[in-house]
Amino acid sequence: MLRYTLQRIIYMLITLFIIATLTFFLMKLLPGSPLKSQDKLTPEQITIINEKYGLNDPLPVQYVNYLGNLAQGDLGLSFQYDNRPVTEMIAGRIGPSAQLGLQALILGSIVGLILGIIAAIKHNTFFDYGATFLAVIGISIPSFVFAGFMQFVLGVKLQLLPVALWEGFSYTIMPTLALSGFVIANISRFMRTELLEVMASDYIMLAKAKGISQSGIIIKHAIRNALIPVITIIGPLAVNIMTGSLVIERIFAIPGLGEQFVKSISMNDYTVIMGTTIFYSALFIFIIFVVDILYGIVDPRIRLAGGRK
Amino acid sequence: MEQKQLENLSPDLFRPAAGKEDLEKIGRPSLSYWQDAWIRLKKNKGAIFGLIIVILITLLAIFAPVFSSHTYREQNLALSKLPPKIPVLEHVGFLGVDGKDKDGFDVYKAKNVKEYYWFGTDDLGRDQWVRVWQGTRISLLIAVAAALIDLFIGIIYGGVAGFYGGRTDNIMMRIIEILIGIPHLIIVILFILIFKPGVTSIILAMVITGWTGMARIVRGQILKMKEQEFVLASKTLGAANSRLIGKHLIPNVLGPIIVTTMFSVPGAIFTEAFLSFIGLGIAPPQASLGSLVNDGFRFIQTYPYQLIIPSIVISLLILSFNLLGDGLRDALDPKMRK
Repeated sequence: MLRYTLQRIIYMLITLFIIATLTFFLMKLLPGSPLKSQDKLTPEQITIINEKYGLNDPLPVQYVNYLGNLAQGDLGLSFQYDNRPVTEMIAGRIGPSAQLGLQALILGSIVGLILGIIAAIKHNTFFDYGATFLAVIGISIPSFVFAGFMQFVLGVKLQLLPVALWEGFSYTIMPTLALSGFVIANISRFMRTELLEVMASDYIMLAKAKGISQSGIIIKHAIRNALIPVITIIGPLAVNIMTGSLVIERIFAIPGLGEQFVKSISMNDYTVIMGTTIFYSALFIFIIFVVDILYGIVDPRIRLAGGRK
Repeated sequence: MEQKQLENLSPDLFRPAAGKEDLEKIGRPSLSYWQDAWIRLKKNKGAIFGLIIVILITLLAIFAPVFSSHTYREQNLALSKLPPKIPVLEHVGFLGVDGKDKDGFDVYKAKNVKEYYWFGTDDLGRDQWVRVWQGTRISLLIAVAAALIDLFIGIIYGGVAGFYGGRTDNIMMRIIEILIGIPHLIIVILFILIFKPGVTSIILAMVITGWTGMARIVRGQILKMKEQEFVLASKTLGAANSRLIGKHLIPNVLGPIIVTTMFSVPGAIFTEAFLSFIGLGIAPPQASLGSLVNDGFRFIQTYPYQLIIPSIVISLLILSFNLLGDGLRDALDPKMRK
């Protein structure tokens, strides 16, 4: 297990280093300079600004400085927002995004698990077909379409919920639902398959032969074992919620990290784009890492084998 | 007594026992892999629904812009924001395609428009019918091209890794592991920032990390196939490499390849739409399904049809591909044969 964890940490660091390097050089490749929009600057001003951002140094020096700063958690200064540190800008925006993401993940997991369990227990009945149908719909309808549909029906037509903005719990309902649709669909589908597989295994038959009641078997033996593989898809789903929030935050005008990222793209605020990209990537990689390690802890077969096949 | 009864039996009551030839007779016609798969696919209602919708939408995307009297970029400000009006269906009240705006005001009558704009017009007076199908065309083009390039790279990379195995395989797989660790959308966004949004740059951006999934599947399949007894048996019987590949490896690997491609198309359609939302999609006057939905959001309160119609088309398209992919996965799995 220790060896596996170490191996994963090394991979994680390599990936992060590659992302940081790639981001840096891609940003240098970008056409135009951040100062281009302000053509009125005198040459002296440009020199001063270039000096401040370290743009006069040769590229390798800039690269090393950049990596050094990065290691200390310094992501540079924003080009557009009056020299505010990017780290500070990210920190100020993380709240709504984190709340939205966690709400969607928790809601999606709970509803998805319940749907999946019902579908598996009532295999080949109306409930099963209903849940399977819902899952296909949930996977197919993009979150932004779902968001638009809710805004139109619940917000504009029925006026039940606020259409946009971020001023209280009622404002979080629609974006949370929009983000959790995909999670519900995936978890219910996965849980159904896993539970059906477990129910067909020998130890369940043994439990039945011993005379344990159906509900006892399902709660004590089947669900607990079926839950283990479901952990693996939590990581990718969390990543999906985070990328989905880029669009959802824009649609609902939520002052989160995703909304800021999209804005920085349209404003060519390169340091913010770069910083947010690295922050997102690090978070993605970290979530996947935690989920993998968790999986190793929960499932002894993997712990003993010393790594996933 | 018993003896007598037996003597009374006439010889007509007997017939020769079935010969050995009959025991070995093949009971049902032998089917090729594809015939078999098609029979299974036909039984799956969802997959057939998906197949029909995919074909229908593809045909509309190809031909609707060609046969219309309008083009996707032709503007007519006098006829802007007309609600949808479709002949015959206009009499079915709840569909809302009667040419009346949300307050029940007949815009067509007021502006004295005789023509029917099936999906209405947008804020610049462009025909939405043509724009929606033109957009579908672009979305499909991007998705199918990205899926095919993924397929091509994936088969070669995965094939080489799986076939040679050992050290080659090890190195190639480590590279993939690192690539997979990089969030797909981040790379796509960075790439498009540099090469400016356009059909080609969007396709290429999606391919950069998109091929890894296919490569892993091909490698896994080839590795599995190499160790199977039937391949060994075929080799022992003296089958040439060409026969091994053509008769055994390809049919067995092709199923998962087709299924993966089927699922990567809706993924690419979604990614393209996603890019439109963050301002990195197809630039106007060109349209894609994503950019149409994105534009539609501006008029959600006043002209909702501009949001609803492209939303329905993109959802239906992704749904159909998913249903078809699900059906194909079941149909192409030889172990499902009954």
